[in-house]
Amino acid sequence: MFLMRFTERAYTTYTEEAVRNSPNEAVRLTFSNSNFDPKVGARQYNEYLDEYEYCEEAGFDGLMLNEHHNTPTCLGATMNLEAAILARSTKKPKIVLMGNPLPTFENPLRVAEEIAEIDMISNGRVVSGFVRGTGVESLAANINPLHNRERFEEAHDLIIKTWTTPGPFRWEGKHYHFRVVNPFQMPLQKPHPPVWIPGLGSPQTLVWAAERGYPYIYLETDPQGTQDMIDIYTEAARESGYEPGPENFGYLCRIHVQDTDEKAYESAKGFLTGNVGVGRVPMPKDYMLPVGYGGSKADPRVAKYQGRIRKDPFLGLGLETASYDQILDSNRWIVGSPETVIRKLRETLSVIRPGILGVWTNDGDTTHADTMRCLELMGQEVLPAIREIGAELELTDPFQKMAQTV
Amino acid sequence: MVAFTEEIVDVGGTKVHTLKGGSGEPLLLLHGAGGNNGWLKSIDALAEKYTVYYPSHPGYGKSDRPDWLETIPDMACFYNWYLETLGLEGIRTIGFSMGGWIASEIAAMCNHSFSKMMLVGAVGIKPNEGEIADLFIISPAQVLDLMFHDPAQAPEYQAVYGREFTPEEMMTAEGNREMAVRLCWKPYMHDPRLSSLLQRVNMPTRMVWGRNDQIVPVECGELYKKAIRGSDLVVIDNCGHSPQVEKPDEFIKTALDFLA
Amino acid sequence: MSLDVYYFTEMPYHYIDDELAEQWPSLRLTFPNSYFDPNKATDLFKRYLDEFQYAEEAGFQGLMINEHHNTPSCMDVEVNITGGILSRLTSKVKILMLGNMLPTSDNPPRLAEEIAMLDVISGGRIVSGFVRGIGVESWANNTNPVYNRERFEECHDLIIKTWATPGPFRWEGKHYQYRAVNPWMLPVQKPHPPVWVPGTGSPETVEWAVKHRYTYAAFLTELTRAKQLFGSYREQARAAGWEAGPDKFAFMICAHANETDEKAQESGKAFMWRMGHPLKGPREYWAPPGYFSQAGVAANAARRQKPMNEMTYEELQDHNHLVVGSPDTVIKKLRHIKEELGIGSLLLETQGGPLSHEDTMRSIKLMGEEVIPALQD
Repeated sequence: MFLMRFTERAYTTYTEEAVRNSPNEAVRLTFSNSNFDPKVGARQYNEYLDEYEYCEEAGFDGLMLNEHHNTPTCLGATMNLEAAILARSTKKPKIVLMGNPLPTFENPLRVAEEIAEIDMISNGRVVSGFVRGTGVESLAANINPLHNRERFEEAHDLIIKTWTTPGPFRWEGKHYHFRVVNPFQMPLQKPHPPVWIPGLGSPQTLVWAAERGYPYIYLETDPQGTQDMIDIYTEAARESGYEPGPENFGYLCRIHVQDTDEKAYESAKGFLTGNVGVGRVPMPKDYMLPVGYGGSKADPRVAKYQGRIRKDPFLGLGLETASYDQILDSNRWIVGSPETVIRKLRETLSVIRPGILGVWTNDGDTTHADTMRCLELMGQEVLPAIREIGAELELTDPFQKMAQTV
Repeated sequence: MVAFTEEIVDVGGTKVHTLKGGSGEPLLLLHGAGGNNGWLKSIDALAEKYTVYYPSHPGYGKSDRPDWLETIPDMACFYNWYLETLGLEGIRTIGFSMGGWIASEIAAMCNHSFSKMMLVGAVGIKPNEGEIADLFIISPAQVLDLMFHDPAQAPEYQAVYGREFTPEEMMTAEGNREMAVRLCWKPYMHDPRLSSLLQRVNMPTRMVWGRNDQIVPVECGELYKKAIRGSDLVVIDNCGHSPQVEKPDEFIKTALDFLA
Repeated sequence: MSLDVYYFTEMPYHYIDDELAEQWPSLRLTFPNSYFDPNKATDLFKRYLDEFQYAEEAGFQGLMINEHHNTPSCMDVEVNITGGILSRLTSKVKILMLGNMLPTSDNPPRLAEEIAMLDVISGGRIVSGFVRGIGVESWANNTNPVYNRERFEECHDLIIKTWATPGPFRWEGKHYQYRAVNPWMLPVQKPHPPVWVPGTGSPETVEWAVKHRYTYAAFLTELTRAKQLFGSYREQARAAGWEAGPDKFAFMICAHANETDEKAQESGKAFMWRMGHPLKGPREYWAPPGYFSQAGVAANAARRQKPMNEMTYEELQDHNHLVVGSPDTVIKKLRHIKEELGIGSLLLETQGGPLSHEDTMRSIKLMGEEVIPALQD
């Protein structure tokens, strides 16, 4: 079982009123950056980095980072910079990039170079995730959302070729053109850093990942929907000639622990101001899913997937309306004392059977002190217990699987 | 030798330096990325039968360089205005190399500009197997090496390429090269849309290629043939990228047969 | 008068010997990356970052980093990556990124965001250099060289506007278009981090620096040429009604100190690697068609009597491209440069080529203990 820690590194020093008064009442994209105070940012960045550095001591196997643009909900606007810092300031944990938003880049070679540089500075600890980015990322970078998937696939193909084929070579694609592909620096890991794909389970991406043997990380999806997704992946994997196991699947879950259930109940409320923003003001649909972004609804699997996401009250921005108690009762967020958390996690792990667990320990306005205590308890009690459960359920992770096959 | 004149055609304020000579129906010649090489033997032969218009593209030689003109489709649009200014319509054309790409874009854009089109070693469509040689990363001398299969068989090679150039000519050559970079840098010497755009072209079209073209593979001629209904491809043996200079007799024969 | 001294290395992957280099037209752009060994590079990165961190401890006022693509001469392909690391792992020094290549950037708001993020993480210690990038960078990033200067200027204007104007706003330019410029991160330094530009002689760059009152850094330039350029800057500033102080001028030079002149002359030979093959290559690599304006071509011709890669070790020292010696010798030479040029910052490439870790650390130590204090009077 591979255990990686995650937080979106939220900035919360603004009011619901400010969001309501902003263009289209949106906390992302157009919420004016005049609401940003760099002094607060300076404190928060360094606290967030302190927390990640402490995670090494606490015993996490990986430090998971993500990236969003034009939003207070995630300070990691360019995740690779934070990754570089952690590459230098930590020694053991994997640095898991979940992930670089490929379609928003005009120059995939630069992404290949950056990741190679970080892979070397970290002494070969990078896991290179790739994502399509939310609609906001397309809008912030002003990349036509209709080309999102095409660009994702072409940028991916070019990056992998750059890492695995000696240069110089030429690339004349649809979206990318280079006559001299030959960055001198290459990743330390051979043939290239592991690629993991996080997402909400879009069928096209699942099949694409399965065909390439890339582990797929479900981002807090509902247990039944996750089962459907595993089926789609498994079917595509079998067609590609292999049998997927827990090492092909990951699950991201909000898990917050404190000394007592009561204390945890209070401090986990930060989740309500995290990725949905202060005041949980509903986002305009066109921001997250601009025209053309979602794929063809003619595909019944896509239609089913979109319906599921839309109806899920506890997923991502669906959280805008559900009550805190409703969410906790659903067990989609796991909050409590070590004992409570371990008990609830066992259920989740038994159903979903992921080899990789993303532990989203805190978010929003949960204090730095509470976060540090949470991480401490994770290290002392929760992580060892999850490892035992993982062993018992035979939840093999990709690195164990690799070690076995060697 | 047919007499020719140098004329300035004013297209909405942009001056286009044009060589004009001969008699008969009009024939538009569109030069390649390197620029207008002047009134060579093959052009003279064409002027025996046709009134030849041989402009330097905007941005090249003595023609003006409008700031807005940055792509081959811009160039095609501009040439439609040029033809309109001269009162020409439904005429014959030959496009050499990059000029072939311009001719194809004009034909795709406006179905009554041309009546017959000949493309010689044309860029514009990306080959599937080979590559269009990267002319911007090598020196002009290396480009010249690639251009000819056997320079010794090109009667005008010495006159055109083998002499000392004046500083003004060097400046012009550098400026032409810069214009080519402006137009063709990315995607390099091709437009992914072009094959699809050519589906509506329905005029007689002939591609002419040197079998040993090291700059634009013969495969590109085949792709043009596939894209343009009813077109044909004539491949000249033992010949490089510029049949009109390297094998002028064969080129003239093929051209006159087709244009007649 | 005080002088800010910056520690600089290009982080060279120096395991390319002359014999191998001579088989290829250049070490840059098309030199096959199959000669790259990531294990060696991993060790080098660790070492170079250790040396950067030690330079702060030793007493340098700043650390300078740069970026190049497709070349063993500079392993840093992303100045903001190392900028991030140094922002977090140092506490006092200025971090001079000289710089981000604007014309090859396809997303200026993202660049503004990255630099802001570093300024925030470092608590306001970023000096943001902007460069045009040599021709090789246009090739590696496949950016049309004809538009190099236009893109430089538009990208700059958009970044400065992003930093100084509250978002969201719209930008519909020639090379860049956005309908919601509004990166959440903004720099700590107001209105924005100091901006520097490097130059080797192009008159347009001096003019542009004066216009924006940016610090102009002369790179490996003859002293007489640097004097002319700085003089031209001062005159243009005066003509515009302001006086350019030393803070507007920086000078970059290779410098190496050892215990004695003899020892320094021996160990300093390592710099010959960086002055050799990495500076060679076809004209099309360095300046693809359209990269230089006519004025730039003329300035380039006047820049140096002899290319640096043709100079001997002694000539490089005579022409002040490289200063080598005991602390006393180095002090004497650098003091001369400081006084001649009236500069406020000196950028010392203290590690270069295969100069060993031991020699680098000793040189940093001597610079910190003896040279830097002596340059402050």
